[in-house]
Amino acid sequence: MRRTMVFAKRNLIEVYRDPLSWIFCIAFPIVMLIIMSIVNSAIPKEAGNTLFRIDNLAGGIAIFGQMFIMLFTAIAVAKDRSGAFLTRLYSSPMKSSNFVWGYILPMLLTAVIQVCVSLIAAVVISLISGYSLSIVGLLFTVVAVIPSALMFSSIGFLFGTFFNEKAAPGICSIIISLGAMLGGIWFDVEGVGGFMYKLGKCLPFLYATKLARSAIALEFGVKEFLIPLGVVVFAALALTILASIVFNSKMRADQR
Amino acid sequence: MGYAIKTEGLIKRYKDKTAVAGLTLTVNEGELIALLGVNGAGKTTTVKMLTCLTKPSEGKAEIMGRDVIKDSEEVKRLVGVSPQDTSVAENLTVKENLEFMADLYLPKEKSAKAVEKTIKAFGLEEFKDKKSKLLSGGYKRKLSIAMAIIGEPKVLFLDEPTLGLDVLARRQLWREIEALKKIMTIVLTTHYMEEAQALADRIVIMNEGRVMAIGTLEELENMTGKKGLEDVFVSIAEKME
Repeated sequence: MRRTMVFAKRNLIEVYRDPLSWIFCIAFPIVMLIIMSIVNSAIPKEAGNTLFRIDNLAGGIAIFGQMFIMLFTAIAVAKDRSGAFLTRLYSSPMKSSNFVWGYILPMLLTAVIQVCVSLIAAVVISLISGYSLSIVGLLFTVVAVIPSALMFSSIGFLFGTFFNEKAAPGICSIIISLGAMLGGIWFDVEGVGGFMYKLGKCLPFLYATKLARSAIALEFGVKEFLIPLGVVVFAALALTILASIVFNSKMRADQR
Repeated sequence: MGYAIKTEGLIKRYKDKTAVAGLTLTVNEGELIALLGVNGAGKTTTVKMLTCLTKPSEGKAEIMGRDVIKDSEEVKRLVGVSPQDTSVAENLTVKENLEFMADLYLPKEKSAKAVEKTIKAFGLEEFKDKKSKLLSGGYKRKLSIAMAIIGEPKVLFLDEPTLGLDVLARRQLWREIEALKKIMTIVLTTHYMEEAQALADRIVIMNEGRVMAIGTLEELENMTGKKGLEDVFVSIAEKME
């Protein structure tokens, strides 16, 4: 456990000293929240589009921000793999589990900070726009999106293990675009229906967004909350286990 | 005095190449041994096998009596490695890098003291709060070696520690290595003759994965009838052809 925390501390410092982390993990979600709120204010009420209303938007942005956590996990792992730093650590008493959690834990912490900052920004916007958000709902959201934070960190970890420093960000960008579209962050996938909705239902992103929005609205029904929670928790655990297995086998292969 | 490293018929094969072909070697505790050879001689692969970074295809290797395959967990606690490429955490300061390595190997109560001691021993006081990516090549190497010894290893492996350094930085690093000789067993790989001559108690001349000669400089000179390591090396290399 101590070695995991020591490695996690090193990774946390590396991430926080990179200005891009601040731009993409903290500033960018807030900027999107502001822009989309402006877009929302321009949509006439008669259109009946509530997707960009702050209660829906805040949940979507919370998940959108976590996708950048995936990107930064992938970069951190791929960068370490490309240099000799991991070689040094492979010859140390660190075990595979120390590496896996040492990468994932700081990203989870970053994700929690990111969600808090995004939700505080959402409260400010809600006060300006005159729409009231439930504080209990917001606090609940911080906890409810932890499984999706684990899920995205694990996807990033997986990509960082598979791909090099140049390929990993590109692959993550594709996932961010797909995830945002199929996750129903920028438009109503359910309303669009057809193949898009069917595909969305096969991936965990739509459930992650639904879970965050339900948590904000304090809706705990089976369809709104429990099923999305089950899917996201399952995906998070499955991907974390998969990432651990892949990293472990890659570590062994490097030592052959 | 016992032995720190013992290998018997150590072989490493990759698909179509034998990187190390039957290395048999004994290194005494407190000795500094230099693995000397041109690129591709098998020096780095030997270090990798002895530090559990790669598994031998055949043969046996022990560090302080522990088998590198069966007892790899224990071996990893006994060795320190400074890899060929400078392997430091770039965004961490010099002190943070040392704290990181100390915390991986040492109990909490010993860690802080070890960091202070190492900073002082390597003359890194001036740079301790500087991010390691901003250090010069020489100081990065110094930091890399400091990171390898902070866990108090019994055996230190330095893979081409002065590669690419200017003459002043190289001489400065030699002094640091000389100081470490008294404390631990050191295996140093190099293709600089003068480095092996200046630092090593014994020299292992390797070529194409094979050991061509082992001995002190004097023994190698007597063996070949030549004076100085460069002439000794050339003489052995010519015989191989």
